[in-house]
Amino acid sequence: MQHKARTPAGRAINAVEETLIAAILGAMTLITFANVVARYVFNSNILWALETTSFLFAWLVLLGASYCVKVTAHLGVDAVINIVSPPVRRAMSLIAAAICLVFALLLLKGAWDFWAPYGEMNATTGRWFPTGFADSRGQGWYELNDVPMPAFLNPLFAQWFNEGEAYEKLPRLVPYVILPVSMLLLVLRFAQAGWELIVGDRASLIASHEVEEAVEDARAHHAIPEPGDPVAPRHPDPKER
Amino acid sequence: MEVAILFAVVIGLLLIGVPIAVALGISSTLFLLTLSDSSLASIAQTLYNGMAGHYTLLAIPFFVLASTFMSTGGVASRIIRFSIACVGQFRGGLAIAGVFACMLFAALSGSSPATVVAIGGIVIAGMQQVGYTKSFAAGVICNAGTLGILIPPSIVMVVYAAATDVSVGRMFLAGVIPGLVAGLMLMVGIYVAARVQNLPKGEWLGWGEVFASARDAGWGLFLIVIILGGIYGGIFTPTEAAAVAAIYAFLIANFIYRDMGPLKGVGEGASPISFLRKPWTLVTAWVHPDTRDALFEGGKLTVTLLFIIANALILKHVLTDEQIPQSIANSMLDAGFGPIMFLVIVNLILLIGGQFMEPSGLIIIVAPLVFPIAISLGIDPIHLGIIMVVNMEIGMITPPVGLNLFVTSGVAGMPMWDVVKAALPWLGILFIFLIMVTYIPGLSTFLPTYFMGPELITR
Repeated sequence: MQHKARTPAGRAINAVEETLIAAILGAMTLITFANVVARYVFNSNILWALETTSFLFAWLVLLGASYCVKVTAHLGVDAVINIVSPPVRRAMSLIAAAICLVFALLLLKGAWDFWAPYGEMNATTGRWFPTGFADSRGQGWYELNDVPMPAFLNPLFAQWFNEGEAYEKLPRLVPYVILPVSMLLLVLRFAQAGWELIVGDRASLIASHEVEEAVEDARAHHAIPEPGDPVAPRHPDPKER
Repeated sequence: MEVAILFAVVIGLLLIGVPIAVALGISSTLFLLTLSDSSLASIAQTLYNGMAGHYTLLAIPFFVLASTFMSTGGVASRIIRFSIACVGQFRGGLAIAGVFACMLFAALSGSSPATVVAIGGIVIAGMQQVGYTKSFAAGVICNAGTLGILIPPSIVMVVYAAATDVSVGRMFLAGVIPGLVAGLMLMVGIYVAARVQNLPKGEWLGWGEVFASARDAGWGLFLIVIILGGIYGGIFTPTEAAAVAAIYAFLIANFIYRDMGPLKGVGEGASPISFLRKPWTLVTAWVHPDTRDALFEGGKLTVTLLFIIANALILKHVLTDEQIPQSIANSMLDAGFGPIMFLVIVNLILLIGGQFMEPSGLIIIVAPLVFPIAISLGIDPIHLGIIMVVNMEIGMITPPVGLNLFVTSGVAGMPMWDVVKAALPWLGILFIFLIMVTYIPGLSTFLPTYFMGPELITR
């Protein structure tokens, strides 16, 4: 079941997010499968297969995390928020959203600090909050172990990140860049979710189990009535309706 | 002490509706920033390496994907037809067939809720039509569905293997006998109840139907042969086996069952199109919208599970940094706890923790805590893993917030507390099973030792 966005821009962004999730998982599966085929049919190995699949795995989950905030797919415990009164529930959800936003902001700083040296940028100083910039350039030459550098990227990358020297393998700054990018998206999505809670477009931040949509589908398919029970989890994102 | 506060914060955050992943992540982050010298950059790196640095966990997206193709590919109804053909003629036959179908589906899927939705969505309504009460039907499926994580492949077992560095292959093999025993115990229980309550029995449809339905369901069930045969034959790693299974499931769903993809019949009840009429679909199926949707659904489920696991790995990092497992181990050994007392405590932790946590996240946190203690008490790591999995199963059907209870409530259209009451008699059978698994290590360790040699414990 796919998310229904309201504006053309929202639909376009949604299509990009969903296609990316599908494409990355598809690529991971095909690469791993191709490596097995290579081993048994062609008696060789795709050297870069494992490392590529591993970083695509990280890309899938980190990018997908912000999408799952948007469609309220992150799992949580709704036993308490379902039995308290609506105002209390609203207050709890707002606090929860604020905590999520703080988490995403802390991780954004951490992600930038981690990536910056590889990307020939300056990491921030400060333990909790960015207080300024440290001089941390100089790790742009770090490469992955097995993934070769696509030739067409080399002129630009060598000039920007490696003082003109060509890369043999893909530089680490490429897979790691997903950290700051995805954490920035996570900040935006949690801020958006918080705003939706404030204006009343959203009931909570969490889904109670991983098969909520499948249960909805099964019920629609077999014409099963809604359980008339206050504890049962029946409050997906109102936008999805 | 600080760690007690850490866990209190996690539970407090969970209760006000913070997503599990964030509750684990921010509590650990605050802990590390205040009490250790870890930086935010190293925490971000831990998050990234949760995926990129754990080759074992890479099996999860592929198993999820294989299961997604199998569910959309209509394998559930074929498995149910085969199960009814095999055991439908007994008294209580449809309920027994429901358990059998759950066991077979568990061999294709690594998740319990998915098993309940796939099998329960069809069987519960069918049982009502032939005269079972709704609560009998829901109670049976709710319990049998928990076998999803015990019969291999199992996502929870992959997570246990990743958390404790035991072999995934051994864990999968270890689940086979307990899975069969639990299924048989449920079936015998149903048969006895059916005799007492004089429940309906079906007709024997003949060997012809058994073979016909077996051939139809066989395409799907061959998946388990690929996975287990491939791992134990030394052909693939478990991760590769999962990827091969995903591709196989894709091919079966698109070209044999044709319930999705370009060869699916157009319109309600239309028969599928012959491959020979459209051979180019061999290419177009890979980019068909149904394929994209299955990839997206599998990807989304992977994201929610792995985001929890990656954040649980940050918490695990806190626990090992603070040497919590060692200090708990020492204090338990000093208190003179033997293996039995220890296993009771593990049972309690998992039953309580299971009320708040998604099973794989809970395993990531609890496994490293109890693993060193188990080793020093001489408990086999594989045996411990199976005990933890069976505890998870029971946690899923224990009120107030067992996962399978919610799912069954949704699938059957029954209030939550009615499902709880319906599941209770069968929960008793699973409790007896838990005691058996806990005190008869051979149930878990026989097959792995037989096929893969004795476990070498390195510490």
